[in-house]
Amino acid sequence: MVAGVTPGDVLIERASRASRRNGVLLYLAGRLAAGIFVLFGAITISFLLIHATGNPATVLAGGSLPAAQVHALSQQLGYNRPLLSQYGSYIVGVLRGQFGVSFRYGTPAIDSVMTALPNTLALIGVSLSAALVLSIAIAVSSVLSRKGWADRFWRPVVLVLQGIPDFWIALILVLVLAVHLHLLPSLGFAGPETLIMPCVALTVPMLASFTRLLRANLLDFTNSDIAFALRARGLTRREIVLGHSFRNAMATFVSFVALQAGWLIGGTVIVETIFAWPGIGTLLISAVLARDLTVIQAIVVVIAVAFTVFNLLADLAVLWLDPRIGRPAVGASR
Amino acid sequence: MKVSGSLVAGGGILVFMVVFSIVGSIVGGSPAKQDFASILARPGTAGHLLGTDPLGRDVLAWVSMGIRTSLEVALGVVCLSALVGCTIGVVAGFTRGWLDVVLMRLADIQLSIPPLPLFIAASAVVVNSMTTLIILVSIVGWVPYARLTRARVLSQRERGYVMAARLAGRRRPAIIFLHILPGIRTEAIVLASLQAGVALLWEAGLSFLGLGLQPPYVSLGFLMSEGKEVLAQAWWVATFPGVALALLVVGFNLTGDGMRDFFGSDVATGNG
Repeated sequence: MVAGVTPGDVLIERASRASRRNGVLLYLAGRLAAGIFVLFGAITISFLLIHATGNPATVLAGGSLPAAQVHALSQQLGYNRPLLSQYGSYIVGVLRGQFGVSFRYGTPAIDSVMTALPNTLALIGVSLSAALVLSIAIAVSSVLSRKGWADRFWRPVVLVLQGIPDFWIALILVLVLAVHLHLLPSLGFAGPETLIMPCVALTVPMLASFTRLLRANLLDFTNSDIAFALRARGLTRREIVLGHSFRNAMATFVSFVALQAGWLIGGTVIVETIFAWPGIGTLLISAVLARDLTVIQAIVVVIAVAFTVFNLLADLAVLWLDPRIGRPAVGASR
Repeated sequence: MKVSGSLVAGGGILVFMVVFSIVGSIVGGSPAKQDFASILARPGTAGHLLGTDPLGRDVLAWVSMGIRTSLEVALGVVCLSALVGCTIGVVAGFTRGWLDVVLMRLADIQLSIPPLPLFIAASAVVVNSMTTLIILVSIVGWVPYARLTRARVLSQRERGYVMAARLAGRRRPAIIFLHILPGIRTEAIVLASLQAGVALLWEAGLSFLGLGLQPPYVSLGFLMSEGKEVLAQAWWVATFPGVALALLVVGFNLTGDGMRDFFGSDVATGNG
């Protein structure tokens, strides 16, 4: 290729690099705007959630207070102001990180959430990494030995694993490892060994869906015309899968993983409850049972923020994985 | 178009679960009946094949009824969210313009709030019943249908046969119902069967937390939460409903996979 380079080619190359930079900036700006928009929507939903059934003071009173006291409560908390003005001050508060005071503890609602968040992030971090490593290993080995033993063994296993609810895995783990074998403490939050059971329970279903997606993506590319051309050049299946399919499959995979990771922040609720893990999920359940509305709002918004951050990180990773983004499409006349 | 192993296996599991639920209800009797003489009876005890729970209720009867509840929820969620999702998708795809933008951004926002916390938060202000549960889960479930329908409408509205129908003077509703929707049918069915499995898990999870269907409704999730309390003495109370739930979900997933192979369609995994 180098032999035929003309000054014109260099100019075109330079121009396309510049347009890629602009395209990339445009792409990033677009993703950022979408993220902010979505976040705004989530904040609105968290506001509407509380007002969906009328005056929140009625929910707080739980039907046990006389009407006059409910009215006084609603006056005190500002719930009798016009909805739009409440919405306005809610947005302003959220932007400053203020959600009001927790009805249960009398402390700022956001403080309870921020204390619980690291515990949940620890669960997610460990189980997500485990699921990633295992699913990549399983998917790659399945594809490398298509029709071989690995694929035949893993396909049904993964299918079954995907169907098993995480909270049932958690119960069975407690039953076997804690109750019968006394290997691990059944609940609580002490050392690294208390992380094992909740993380295994969270990893298994995730691992299954990751593996299925990655395997399908790897196979798509490995069976494509490009891979056929590579094989004609003399590359082995192994070289094609590891050197070409993998990176191609990664872009979709990373976006999917980010979506799952975002959902996991709230999805740990049940497992956290089983193991009495002091994370966001346990806090959410107790807030719901106590009708601690400000804490519920704070949790919904924090989850949405985490979700948006995960997805923006994924967009950055995809940008690096897929050099086509930001370039004019092949054959485009502009 | 070939019937794959997974379609046969998935269909087989689902048929087995339905038969099990019917037979179990006949053998086990009413799930509400309490037998105080045999509280926490072991599986295999006379009259209680799968044992009893801490209140002396028959686990077989409860699991059989719970399977029925799960299937009802799954059916309700699938029908409602497919209806809402496809309608929104058709509207967005056909009108394009600002309505399309608004609806699709709404779908993005919907995806940014993880389903489980949303259900839980909503259950703080919403009264619990089968209908509200189905509506709640469907509020999350419509997004994939809307995206699928919209994408297909966009790609098909410029196709020759749709153009031909338009030139022949067909009105919009006729074009939508007679020419575009039939082309989406198979993909929607695949999506629905994958979504059914997810809906089951959400229902059981909420009931497990004590926020979904509570007695007098009979839910597998509720029985598992009861079993959690007596896990050390009675493993069977939590284990059997879990097995039933896992079999149902695997059954729906296999059926969905099998149908995808059968129709040769290319639907993304139903994770929402």
